[in-house]
Amino acid sequence: MSSISESSVITALRRQMTIAVAKQVASAGNLANIDTPNYKAKEVTFADTLKGKLTPTAPASNSTFPTKSATAVDPGITLKEADGPERRDGNTVQLDREMLTMSRAAGDFAAAQTALAAKFRLVRYAINESK
Amino acid sequence: MSTLYGAISASATALDAERTRIEVAVSNMANAESTRSTDGQPYRRRDVMLASEPGQTFEAALGQAGAVGVRVAGIVQDQTPFRRRYEPSHPDADADGFVMLPNVDGEQEMVDMLGAARAYQANIAAIGMIREMVAKSLELGKG
Repeated sequence: MSSISESSVITALRRQMTIAVAKQVASAGNLANIDTPNYKAKEVTFADTLKGKLTPTAPASNSTFPTKSATAVDPGITLKEADGPERRDGNTVQLDREMLTMSRAAGDFAAAQTALAAKFRLVRYAINESK
Repeated sequence: MSTLYGAISASATALDAERTRIEVAVSNMANAESTRSTDGQPYRRRDVMLASEPGQTFEAALGQAGAVGVRVAGIVQDQTPFRRRYEPSHPDADADGFVMLPNVDGEQEMVDMLGAARAYQANIAAIGMIREMVAKSLELGKG
């Protein structure tokens, strides 16, 4: 039976928010350099992180203090150069792609935030003895 | 972990750079007919050089994903030849009646200005989206 404050859900939501933030940061950097010659657009990859999460590791993390899983969230988000055509000045930033990435990241972030808030509301409900 | 504030600073550097581009384009347009500058020559068209600027943030120092800002690497003078116009009555006309005019091209400046204005808008939109995300995350603390 899973508890209300089950940390795996919170960790997953936290990861979703962290990735959304990383995407937002990468796109902001790309947009800032939209006119910089020879700048190559960057995008966030987290495939290695995902693979690491999918391979079964010791599931004995029943600790109330999720310090270990919390630190395991951040690494693995890396930047790579995005594919795409190069402009004449060697720049590969595409305005529409960056705006789309930012919108999607904002949506992901809002979704995770809503779920997390609902999760916290349940915890608070339990703490306040259903009042 | 990269922070949203780093992203806002990166966008802010871009606003600065794009504003510089607009300023330079405007001064080029303003001086399209300036036949005398401080060195006695006609005005030379200016161009902004942009360069990306990593390594400013804490994340970048750690080698992690961080926002990359932009900076004005320099403002250089366009070395293309001056325009010549036949105007013998002009005080700066040479012996043959030709005046040397700045190498400013109105269309080029307009296109530059449009590009800079659009990039400025894109970065403003980016800042707006980041700010919404920050506000959204602050809602987690509400009761």
